[in-house]
Amino acid sequence: MHIPDGYLGPATFITLFLVMLVIWFFAFRNANKNLGPRNVPVLSFMAALSFILMMFNLPIPDGTTAHMVGAVLIAIVLGPYGGVIALSIALLIQALLFGDGGVTAYGANVFNMGVVMSFTGIFAYAGVKKLLTKDGKLTSKARAASAFVGGYIGIVVAAFCGSVEFGIQPIIAPGYSPYGLDVAIPAMVGAHLLVGIAEGLTTAIVVYYLAENRPDLLRLPKLSPGWLRGVYKDVEPTESHEGARKERVPVEAKGES
Amino acid sequence: MTKLMSKKTLAILLALAVISPLGILVVWNFSEAWGEWGSVGNWVPWKVWSAPLDGYDLSGWDSQLMASLGYIISALVGIAAIILVTYAMSTIFGRRSIQEENK
Repeated sequence: MHIPDGYLGPATFITLFLVMLVIWFFAFRNANKNLGPRNVPVLSFMAALSFILMMFNLPIPDGTTAHMVGAVLIAIVLGPYGGVIALSIALLIQALLFGDGGVTAYGANVFNMGVVMSFTGIFAYAGVKKLLTKDGKLTSKARAASAFVGGYIGIVVAAFCGSVEFGIQPIIAPGYSPYGLDVAIPAMVGAHLLVGIAEGLTTAIVVYYLAENRPDLLRLPKLSPGWLRGVYKDVEPTESHEGARKERVPVEAKGES
Repeated sequence: MTKLMSKKTLAILLALAVISPLGILVVWNFSEAWGEWGSVGNWVPWKVWSAPLDGYDLSGWDSQLMASLGYIISALVGIAAIILVTYAMSTIFGRRSIQEENK
């Protein structure tokens, strides 16, 4: 899903850089408040995990490949701005050191895989979570199912956004990506409808593991805008880090208020 | 003091780095992901940046074995770079909460 240099015309990549400047402002302002000793190691682990997940190219039956991203998992553990920041770091290293994703397209790539994926994924996760919460309680399995849907929807919508950015080039920027929406959308969305299964499963398995074994990690302070705080209500941060570590009570026991 | 990363989590990343060549070996005869990596048909996009480890590979390391080795090296370099950048970033942002929690 990494857009290289030369595919997007200046109008598109400059617009997306400007959009990213606004989102980065909010994300880093939030990080300034909520990023601390408790979640910095998790943020660097998650950014590195996302980087390496993206190295596992998975075969698509039409003869091409696609890969997972991991942004929704990060958004569940650290909040959507955590997903934005982790992907900003991973994509920066990929563009500069490995030529994976363009330098001019950096804003576009962070927008698709960091912003769109984190936020749509967390909305889908929250929606399913609400449906599966019974008597104010959410089992780890139900939480994992919500995470699956979040990961699946997140990566597919992100791919759709990328394909629209590709597909509008023949209309607004001749000389750049020559493929219209009729080619770009089926190619990118089609591949990610399949890879979404892997993305969803990975997200679900890790979230299930955390809910059962390390609920303290699900309760980490979230880098989230205020209007999305409700999504994390069932895993409110505990008083102190040490206390949370010793506690190890499955999150389901806390229930949703 | 902010801990960079625990041994266990680092071990997970290193294990993934070691098996990362699966990400190229499984799809060795496949074409690249749509829209990624350069030319599509006879249309070639311009390049503005040449990355030191372009394509997660060292130039000339083309056999499956050497490409796998290059892939593992790239994974390790990438992981190290990301941990450093995240840590550097966290010393600029998140100062307020770090100071509060260190009281």
